[in-house]
Amino acid sequence: MPISNENIIVADDLTISYDLHRERKKLIALQDINLEIKKGEFVVLVGPSGCGKTSFINAVSGLIPKSGGSVKVRGEEVTAPGPDRAMVFQDYALLPWRTVESNIRLPYELQNLGISEEEKKQRVKNCLELVDLAGFEKSFPYELSGGMKQRVGIARALATNPDILLADEPFAAIDAMTREAMQAEMERIVMETGQTCVFITHSIDEAILLGDRVVVISYRPGKIKEIVNIDFPRPRMNNSEVKISKTYAELRDHIWNLVKDEAMQTTRGE
Amino acid sequence: MAKATEQIQYETDDPNRIQDVGWTFKEVWRRTRGFVVTSVNLIIFFILWEIVTTYGNINSLFLPKASAMFQELWVGMTTRAPEGAVFSGSILDHFLHSFTNLMTGLAIAMAIGIPGGLLMGGNKYVESILSPYVWALASLPRIALVPLFILFLGFTTTMQVTIIVISAVFPIVINAWAGVKTTEKSLLAAAKVFGANRVQLYYKVVLPYTLPFIISGIQQGIGRGLIGVVIAELFGGSNGLGYLIQRSADTFNTAMTFAVLLLLIVMSLSLINFTRWLEAKVAPWRNVNHL
Ligand SMILES: Nc1ncnc2c1ncn2[C@@H]1O[C@H](COP(=O)(O)OP(=O)(O)OP(=O)(O)O)[C@@H](O)[C@H]1O
Ligand SMILES: [Mg+2]
Repeated sequence: MPISNENIIVADDLTISYDLHRERKKLIALQDINLEIKKGEFVVLVGPSGCGKTSFINAVSGLIPKSGGSVKVRGEEVTAPGPDRAMVFQDYALLPWRTVESNIRLPYELQNLGISEEEKKQRVKNCLELVDLAGFEKSFPYELSGGMKQRVGIARALATNPDILLADEPFAAIDAMTREAMQAEMERIVMETGQTCVFITHSIDEAILLGDRVVVISYRPGKIKEIVNIDFPRPRMNNSEVKISKTYAELRDHIWNLVKDEAMQTTRGE
Repeated sequence: MAKATEQIQYETDDPNRIQDVGWTFKEVWRRTRGFVVTSVNLIIFFILWEIVTTYGNINSLFLPKASAMFQELWVGMTTRAPEGAVFSGSILDHFLHSFTNLMTGLAIAMAIGIPGGLLMGGNKYVESILSPYVWALASLPRIALVPLFILFLGFTTTMQVTIIVISAVFPIVINAWAGVKTTEKSLLAAAKVFGANRVQLYYKVVLPYTLPFIISGIQQGIGRGLIGVVIAELFGGSNGLGYLIQRSADTFNTAMTFAVLLLLIVMSLSLINFTRWLEAKVAPWRNVNHL
C-alpha cells in the first residue's frame, strides 16, 4: 500500500522531561520535536544511546506524560495508550508467568476485537510462525534466549494487526541472519497491511533498508538533527541492487557522520 | 542476497532438539540425594543420642533417651483422652487443638492481610494512613501484647487465636504490599499498551506478580504464628501443645516434653516446606537454577 497524504502522528513542539528527585532537577530528554508521520509511512529513529528515542515512542503510545507541546494521533491528543498503537518493548516486557502462546494472546484478552476464538488461534499461530517460534508455544519466557524473547515481543505486537506499530529496537538481540529474515518480514507486513511504523534502531543499515525517512536525533537535549529521505523502491530487502548502489553508500556515510558527531559528544559527556 | 530469506529456514521442530533424559542412576540420585542425605543424617543423630544417653552418665530428667521420646510420641499420638476427661494426656488431642487454632489464625490473618496489603500497595492514601500503624505493630514484639489479650479475652481459645492472628498478619501484609510496590513497571506498561484497564492491570499483572510475595509472607506468617500458638498456650489455657510442654516439664516427664518439641519441629517444617513447594509451583520463573 502506498503512503497516503494523511498525517496520522503529529508531534508539535513536543518536549519530554524527567524529574531527577535526588538532585531536585529536571532532565530534558526531548526538546521541541516537530514531526509529522503519514499513514503507512515507515519512520526510523536513530541517535546515540540516551538521546530520547524510547521517550518519543513512549509519548506516542501514551505511556508517559509530555511536559510541553503536543502529540496527536489522528488529530486527537494522546493521553493514554489505545488499541490502535502496539509496541515492541526494548526490554521485551513479557509476563513471566505466561507461556509464549499466552503472552501473544494477551492483547486479545485485554481488547475486544470482535474476532472468533478460531481466528484468534489461527492468528497466534501465524504470528508464531512469522517470528520462527513454532514449537515453543508452551515454553515460558525464562526458558528462552534473549533473541527469542524479543521475537515473542514482536509477535505479541503484531497479533492485533495494529494501525500503528511502535518498535523499540526490535531486532537488537537477534543474530544477523535471523535479523535479515525478520527485516524482510517486517517490510512485507508493513507494505501489505498499510501499517504505520515508528522504528528505533542503532543499525544504520537497518535504518536505510527499512525507512521511508530516517530521523536523526541529537544528544541532550534530544532534538531532531536532520531528517533523511530514503527513496529506494520497495521491496528493498531482497533486492541486491539496493545495498551495492552508490546512493546507498552515500546515505550510509551521511547518516553515519550525523550520528557520529552526536555519539562523540555522548562519550565526552557533554 | 537475493534469496536470503529462503536460505534461513531454521528447523525448530527438529525431533532431536528435545531429548529424553531417561532414568539413569545419576538422575535418580540427583532427585533423591537431598532426601537420602537428610534421612541418614537424622538416623545417625538419633542413634548417637541413644548411645550417649544409654552409656553416658546423663540424668534422664535433663535428656531422655531418644527411644523414650519416640515411645512417648507414639503412645501420645495413638491414644485419645477418655470421654469426659478434664485434662488430656494425649499428645494428639493437644496437637489437634493447637493445629486447629493455628489454621484458624492463619486463615484470618490471610483474610485480613492479603487484601490489606494489596490495598496499601495499590492506593497511596490507604498506604499513607495505614503504614505507621502497620510498622508500629510489626516492630512491637508480639509477646508484649499477650498479657493485654488475656486481660481482654480471658484464657479462651479466642485469645489464643487472636494472638496467632496478630503474630502472623504483619509479614503477610508487608509482603503483599511490597509485592504490589515492586511490580515491574515495564510489565505494567506492556499491559497498558495492549489495552488493560485498571481492573485488568490488577488481576492480570499485579496479582500474579505479587502471588509469590504473598506466599513467602504466609511462610513467615506460619513461623510467627507457631510462636504465637505456643506462647498463648504457655501463658494461659489448659489445652494445646504449649500447655503440654509446660505440664510435662512440671511433672518431670522430660520424654514427653521432648516428644512435643519434636512434633512442633515436624509440624513447622512440613508447613514451611509446603509453602516452598507452592511458591516454586506458582512462580517457576523465580527459581531458575542455571546461572
Ligand atoms: N524514568 C526515567 N527517569 C529519569 N530519567 C529518565 C527516565 N527514562 C529515561 N530517562 C532519561 O531520558 C533520556 C532519554 O532516555 P531514552 O530511554 O528515551 O533514551 P533512548 O534514546 O531510548 O536510549 P537507548 O538507545 O539507550 O535506548 C536518558 O538520558 C535517560 O537518562
Ligand atoms: Mg531506548
